[in-house]
Amino acid sequence: MAGPLQGIRIVEMGQLIAIPSAMKWLADMGAEVIRLESVQRLESYRTDSLYHNDVDGEFWNRGANFYEQNRNKLGLTLDLSRDEGREVLRDLIAVADVFAENFTPRVIRNFALEYRDLMKIRPDIIMVSSTGYGFEGPWSNFGATGPATEGAAGLAYMTGYKGGGPMMSEIPYTDYTAGEHTVSAVMLALMHRLNTGQGQFIDVSQTQTCSATIPEALLDWTVNGRIQERLGNEDPAMSPHGCYPCAGDDRWIAITIDSDEAWYALCRVMGRPDWAADARYGDTLRRIQHREELDTMLAFETHTHDNHELMAKLQAEGVAAGAVMDSQDLLFNEHLKVRRFYEVVEHHPDTGMPPLPYAGRPWKLSETPSDPPKAAPIMGQHNREILAGLLGKTEAEIGELEESNVIGYAPLTPRGVRRPSLDEQVRQGRMQRYETNYADRVRKWFGIGG
Amino acid sequence: MTSGALAGVKVIDLTHHIAGPYATKLLADFGADVLKIERPGGDPARRLPPFHHDDPHHEKSLPFLYLNTNKRSITLNLKSEEGRGILLELLSDADVLVENFAPRVMPSLGLDYETLREQNPRLVVASASNFGQTGPWRDYRATEIVEYALGGLMYIFGAYDREPLKHAMNQAQFKAGTNLASATLMALYHQRLTGQGQRVDVSIHESIASALRDVINNYTYLGAVRRRQPNHTGDLTRLRAVSDGYVLPNPGIGAGLNWQILVDFLDAPQLDDPRFDNASARLENAEALGAILDEIFATKQKRDIFYAAHEKRFIYGVIDSPAETIENPQIQARNYYQPVEHPELGEITFPGAPFLMSGSPWAVNSTAPALGQHNGEVLGALGYDARGMAYLAASEVI
Repeated sequence: MAGPLQGIRIVEMGQLIAIPSAMKWLADMGAEVIRLESVQRLESYRTDSLYHNDVDGEFWNRGANFYEQNRNKLGLTLDLSRDEGREVLRDLIAVADVFAENFTPRVIRNFALEYRDLMKIRPDIIMVSSTGYGFEGPWSNFGATGPATEGAAGLAYMTGYKGGGPMMSEIPYTDYTAGEHTVSAVMLALMHRLNTGQGQFIDVSQTQTCSATIPEALLDWTVNGRIQERLGNEDPAMSPHGCYPCAGDDRWIAITIDSDEAWYALCRVMGRPDWAADARYGDTLRRIQHREELDTMLAFETHTHDNHELMAKLQAEGVAAGAVMDSQDLLFNEHLKVRRFYEVVEHHPDTGMPPLPYAGRPWKLSETPSDPPKAAPIMGQHNREILAGLLGKTEAEIGELEESNVIGYAPLTPRGVRRPSLDEQVRQGRMQRYETNYADRVRKWFGIGG
Repeated sequence: MTSGALAGVKVIDLTHHIAGPYATKLLADFGADVLKIERPGGDPARRLPPFHHDDPHHEKSLPFLYLNTNKRSITLNLKSEEGRGILLELLSDADVLVENFAPRVMPSLGLDYETLREQNPRLVVASASNFGQTGPWRDYRATEIVEYALGGLMYIFGAYDREPLKHAMNQAQFKAGTNLASATLMALYHQRLTGQGQRVDVSIHESIASALRDVINNYTYLGAVRRRQPNHTGDLTRLRAVSDGYVLPNPGIGAGLNWQILVDFLDAPQLDDPRFDNASARLENAEALGAILDEIFATKQKRDIFYAAHEKRFIYGVIDSPAETIENPQIQARNYYQPVEHPELGEITFPGAPFLMSGSPWAVNSTAPALGQHNGEVLGALGYDARGMAYLAASEVI
């Protein structure tokens, strides 16, 4: 049985992650998502992080990030700067349940795509706008990136090594935070429409979604007037609690001791009965008082161990510990395999790409699981299906749109990003290592034939 | 008067700590009737710091007060036969049961999915757990940092030459809580259409692992394993210290960058130098470039350079402390922070709506309930009189 959102049609004018990730998860669960893009303005996720780092040919159909964020969607190219393009969009909105976008309000107003405009076309439409700082307000037209909103929300300020400056993750983290909240928001609006027959406008501020997830720091300020210091990997209530070196190059393990039992188990596994017998470490409070000393002692012990083996031993004794997994560990992980977390996706034959696994969803629904996934569309892949099949355009009308580049199948000014060679990326330290037999390993692990 | 999107939805909430309660908070703040069922000692999150005026009392944990807005609370010992019976009675007309125990707990209480479905086939049984309800790691123990490590976010987070780092606070829990709310709503939507309930299985671990951009693809597309990035001092988008804090510069990424625009914007003629005027030259002279940029930025002020940048549509960002976040004119204009009256503690200012809904708005009417605050009301409705309740209390069921 297919996902619970069958019959819901979403028109998505998204870019990068914040809206595309949310609409991907809704598409996974059965919604029909029509992803708009244009041949005039090539989205950067089609131009970078390319399969085999190959910028020749139709590289725009081989971008990792585009595939990652746009699974299970239909692709339509449309030039919205032209009347003909906007007319097609209006026709689509007339038959859509949801319109989702993450451009600045300035762009949306220029295209006359505000909620009140859409309501005239489809009175019960649900519109969701995702912006860095919110659709209204003095900063509303300021463009934003994930790191920028991680900063504005207060999260980056709190994060960092003890005694050091603020730090943030190296992926656009809050784009996902916003995307995850957007899935909830759209589902709430669909519930409301089920109850009342009414649509509405959802204004997602990526900053606000992130602030909603750091009440510990924000309330300490509003109530106690305190700004907490950066703690790195420490936890005020646990010791040891941190990330410790293991055998090998850039190998680590996270270990957290949350009880006396866990402490004694750690001493057993590390072969240090003398620690267990030492009264200075006899309870949580005393272990917290001796935090630095314990961290140094523990790091000296862990650094000869394999991080995965040590994790297994510690977990077997009830200690919450985890190897710091790199992407290869994560891809070839037995637990995720049993849970079928990664899903193999077939790419369009024109791309020359083999079937490859992609990360799935963080949820499973027992009675309404998702269908086997389809790859993100190559550029313009569903132009005809949508224009003729859904909107009833004639061959001649479609031909005109093609002729005038309102729709198309390739960017007008293609420019791909060729990254340095892998040897160079390893030399610069951007990649830890690379393998040459990876394709075989992926094929074997995921049982991909051919 | 508009009502929340979930008016008429009845949720029985067995959750504790952070991930589960954040999910049911999202449901409650958008109108669902959420009944929180706590063990007689209370949700352990009642002991989470920081506390109101640093008083470590179980009604004064600030994260707890935030995570449990708009909910009612009863206490129930699910290990007792009567407690379990009362739960099953409450479930008979509920739409959703949400829990985030370790996966072995619900079956051990005789509350496996089959039993619950028999009681109420419409029931959505939604679970969040460290590693999901199945798989070889199902019973592994985890804390926040362990989820960061095993989820793949930690390896690429932090300084190149130091140990991997996690975000401050409890991001993995909140991510999973958000995903739990989303997945629960999908199952609820299906229930409203078909009358059919089902199980929802959310993994905190997978909540991290499903949000890593192209980190996995770097391997499947190229065979390369990404790591924490080196701190190239000349990196134009690197976080920079200014005189009163930090900014995140962003001159317009990519090959199209016109160096002269940057030189003019920063008013830094010393950058007008062949050592820096193209991408490869900048990489070559990264250290020199970094030193000059550090000097230039140190003379700037955070808000000034941020606003000046946005006049030119450069996507600069600011790193704001909690205090600055609350004073931010954008956040104030949107009335993001919301005062909520607590019966004992007075007014508390909370982070507000994560997103604004025009037709079914977010609303917080009450902070978290006191432990067992609604025992009388809820058990009374089930037909227990004062004597019955006294018996339940004496036998430690409530």
